Amino acid sequence: MSINVQNLVKRYGQVTVVQGISFQVAKGEFLSLLGPSGCGKTTTLRCIAGLENADGGVIKIGDGVVSAPEQGVLIPPHERQIGMVFQSYAIWPHMSVAQNVGFPLAIRKASTAEVARQVDDALGIVGMRHLKDRHPSQLSGGQQQRVALARAIVGRPKVLLFDEPLSNLDAKLREGTRLEIRRLQRELGVAAVYVTHDQEEALSMSDRVIVMEAGRIMQTGTPKDLYRRPSNRFVADFVGRASFIDVQKGPDANTWIAPDGTPIRLDSGRAEAAAHYQAMLRPEAIDLIAAGPEGMRPNGANVLKGRVYDSQYMGAHTEYLVNAAGTTLKVHSTQDFGPGSDVLVSFDPVDCHLVAVEDQAAKAA
Amino acid sequence: MTDKAIVPAASEFATHYAQRRSSQDRLLHGVYAATFVVVVLLVTIPIAALIYGSLRTSAPGNPGEWTLRNYAGLFTEGVLATMGTTLWIGLVSSAFCIVVGTAIALVVHRTDFKYGKFVNAAVGLAFYFPSFILAMAWIIIGAPGGIYNAVVDGILGMPWARADIYTALGIVFVMVLHQVPFVYLTMSGPIVSMDAIYEEAARTSGAKPHVVLYRVTLPLLSYSLISSFILTFIITIEQFAIPALIGIPGQVTMLATQLYLLVRFSPADYGLAAAVGLALSAITGTAIWAQRRVTRAGRLTTITGKAGRVAPIPLGGWKWAAYALCFGFVFLGLVLPMVMLIYTSLLKWFTANPFAGMYTLRNYAFIWESASALRSFWNTLVVSGIGAAIGVVLGLLCAYFTLRLKPKGYRALDLVASLPFGVPGVVLGLGLLWAYAYLPIPLYGTLAVIIVAFVTRFLPYATETIGGQLVQIDKSLEEAAWVGGATRLQSVFKVLLPLARPSVQSAYFLLFMAFFREISSAILLYSASTQVISISIWAFFEQANWGLASSLSVVATLIIFAAMSLITWLVPTARRR
Ligand SMILES: Nc1ncnc2c1ncn2[C@@H]1O[C@H](COP(=O)(O)OP(=O)(O)O)[C@@H](O)[C@H]1O
Ligand SMILES: [Mg+2]
Repeated sequence: MSINVQNLVKRYGQVTVVQGISFQVAKGEFLSLLGPSGCGKTTTLRCIAGLENADGGVIKIGDGVVSAPEQGVLIPPHERQIGMVFQSYAIWPHMSVAQNVGFPLAIRKASTAEVARQVDDALGIVGMRHLKDRHPSQLSGGQQQRVALARAIVGRPKVLLFDEPLSNLDAKLREGTRLEIRRLQRELGVAAVYVTHDQEEALSMSDRVIVMEAGRIMQTGTPKDLYRRPSNRFVADFVGRASFIDVQKGPDANTWIAPDGTPIRLDSGRAEAAAHYQAMLRPEAIDLIAAGPEGMRPNGANVLKGRVYDSQYMGAHTEYLVNAAGTTLKVHSTQDFGPGSDVLVSFDPVDCHLVAVEDQAAKAA
Repeated sequence: MTDKAIVPAASEFATHYAQRRSSQDRLLHGVYAATFVVVVLLVTIPIAALIYGSLRTSAPGNPGEWTLRNYAGLFTEGVLATMGTTLWIGLVSSAFCIVVGTAIALVVHRTDFKYGKFVNAAVGLAFYFPSFILAMAWIIIGAPGGIYNAVVDGILGMPWARADIYTALGIVFVMVLHQVPFVYLTMSGPIVSMDAIYEEAARTSGAKPHVVLYRVTLPLLSYSLISSFILTFIITIEQFAIPALIGIPGQVTMLATQLYLLVRFSPADYGLAAAVGLALSAITGTAIWAQRRVTRAGRLTTITGKAGRVAPIPLGGWKWAAYALCFGFVFLGLVLPMVMLIYTSLLKWFTANPFAGMYTLRNYAFIWESASALRSFWNTLVVSGIGAAIGVVLGLLCAYFTLRLKPKGYRALDLVASLPFGVPGVVLGLGLLWAYAYLPIPLYGTLAVIIVAFVTRFLPYATETIGGQLVQIDKSLEEAAWVGGATRLQSVFKVLLPLARPSVQSAYFLLFMAFFREISSAILLYSASTQVISISIWAFFEQANWGLASSLSVVATLIIFAAMSLITWLVPTARRR
């Protein structure tokens, strides 16, 4: 079933932490809420689950309104038929694995045989059937996580909600579990909302990602959209690594002027209207070449003069900090340059995007 | 996007939803309202009655007039002197307790002392040793005609070494013996759970073990020490039995005993007693406020929950000092008093010379033959068994509502439920004495009034014990149950209660033991048919019937120790606290 959130507002005392956001999640869609810590992702998710009472707006799950405080409707969580995986897993320590997973069925008065069958199924799906009589204290973090998953899906929920379910796992386990969560959700064909502050997780798992900041939606789009064509500085900065060049309007819509006067050709398609603009460059979209003649190349690439100022060896590539166009650019290159080398920085106009800058953000590097 | 489509659907939905909703929450809100009313009545009735009484010229129930003379009475020389005595005895005793209790805790938990387990268990037993029994035992030892003086003067011929327990120093001495286990228990937690990295960092910086103790361990414990000091001060000036048994014959008066004397001996002055009670409560209340400030400030700084094992400090040459300290305390606070009581209980007539004694079991036989002694045992069992259950249920409800559900007005409930912390037992008894003269229900002289007094007095202990565990149960455990389809009530029974069970058990244990030993809040409320065991012992001792008082004490103490071992064995978690 789908989820439909309209103008959701949530306040804690005087502070409004979710400021009237709207989005939809279609049946079978996997949507991530991505944003820095404290931006209101968890609060939004908990409003959908009914664990927090929203202060305004309407939330529908399928055709049913579950939250409409202005109309006096706030369906309690136990009637919303959701499956949820908590950041801390919330595995009940006084119940065995099977009892944990069977809880949503037992509490809805399913027969013992039915509970046993479905628990078996759910544990089978997450590969934990052999541990069903264990107690949670005898499980590793990854195993507890699977139990939490099994418990979330066992009651055939209408929607699945995840609140940073992987943040307590180590890096190796995290990658495997990402794939598994995605596979499960596809099999169940339910709408899923996934909260995370890890952009890699959001990009790799989601059909669509919502980037949030301070209780507002900054941009909604597919992972590729967000990464390649962010519409504002915040999204560009938060999703992936990027360098920014302050630019002023130039002779035509796609040619802008860097602080040192260099003209830069770029793609200005997506930028929102704003007082200030910057040109955004991903480090892997830039080529470093040993110094030579500057200017626009025949094929249309921008070429700027620069000087390597520092570098960090990362294995697959080296990240260089290059002073060019009156700013510092991050560049990933597989070639070797010493500190202080003069280089040419070259990038394609289609890889350079104009982004809108909010006033204070312009000053932050 | 589709606002318009959603909103009408929502309002249509709202009506039929509102009806369902109301029936669902009614039960929980009913229980909340009931808890609120019961707690408010329990706590405010005695306090209000006390304030009322302090403004009246007459005894409870008699016609009288409004007056302020009772407050003026607080500033007479006698009462001011009593306040001074109370404060200095409180401060001096607490200081000694902190030093001795913390030293024992450090020796047991932080050094290579070999008998730590034994001392830990013995001090734990001493914690449950009733104050009035300890005081009686030390009177038998230290009274002018007591065993100590008979030995030093009569047998050893050293008249200069005579001592008299019936003095302010005697009170301090017994008080310290009684409160050291409290300090030991409150300091053991922080000492054991202190993160080892601080001490390890100091040791890797080259500090010797004892330097680490002075420069790192003790400073890190300073908030706990101050907090423990204030708490000890509070329970010392609240203490009734020790200053009454020792101070009244020796004419050393503390506020708690002054109040008792004003009520029990003519010319009785119930109004002044009420004012004294309020003054005492004001002191304890202020101290509690200060203690809360200290704990709140301290929480920011030091202790993490992680227990780490540091290598124990080698005692070396200090070994004998540690032995003397730990075994000395266990001997004076537990073994010697018990031996004296057993000895006294076996004598036909008291004599300080064990070779001249006529031994008998008649004091024990008397317990079986005496209907009143048996009844007081039965009463105690009823009061402790049922009263503790009531107290735990109320405490559980208070903790759940104030920490979890947080419905409207929960802060008020929290405040009211913690007020009895600041009201000493005798003061509470006096408040109830005033209140029941005016209440329409004929409670006075029933066991119920004793239960009411005990439950009120120890409600904060139940709430704190259970609440302490409730806050540690991650909220998401309950939320996961809601999401999984459980109602609030179902999640309480399926998740919260099973997880909180150890704290509920230890709260019951704590209250049962406290009720079994409690005397201060019952001393003004009992009648012949509602004597509890503590009161019976007290009464026999006051009649100078040391033999009977001793045999009853021995039996009561054995019951306490047996119950404690039984419960510790059955429910290992109940031991905590
Ligand atoms: N129970 C609460 N009371 C007050 N403020 C809260 C509460 N829960 C969250 N907040 C605040 O709301 C904001 C959003 O929190 P949250 O949704 O948890 O952020 P995140 O995006 O990290 O999940 C934060 O500033 C947080 O401090
Ligand atoms: Mg969060």
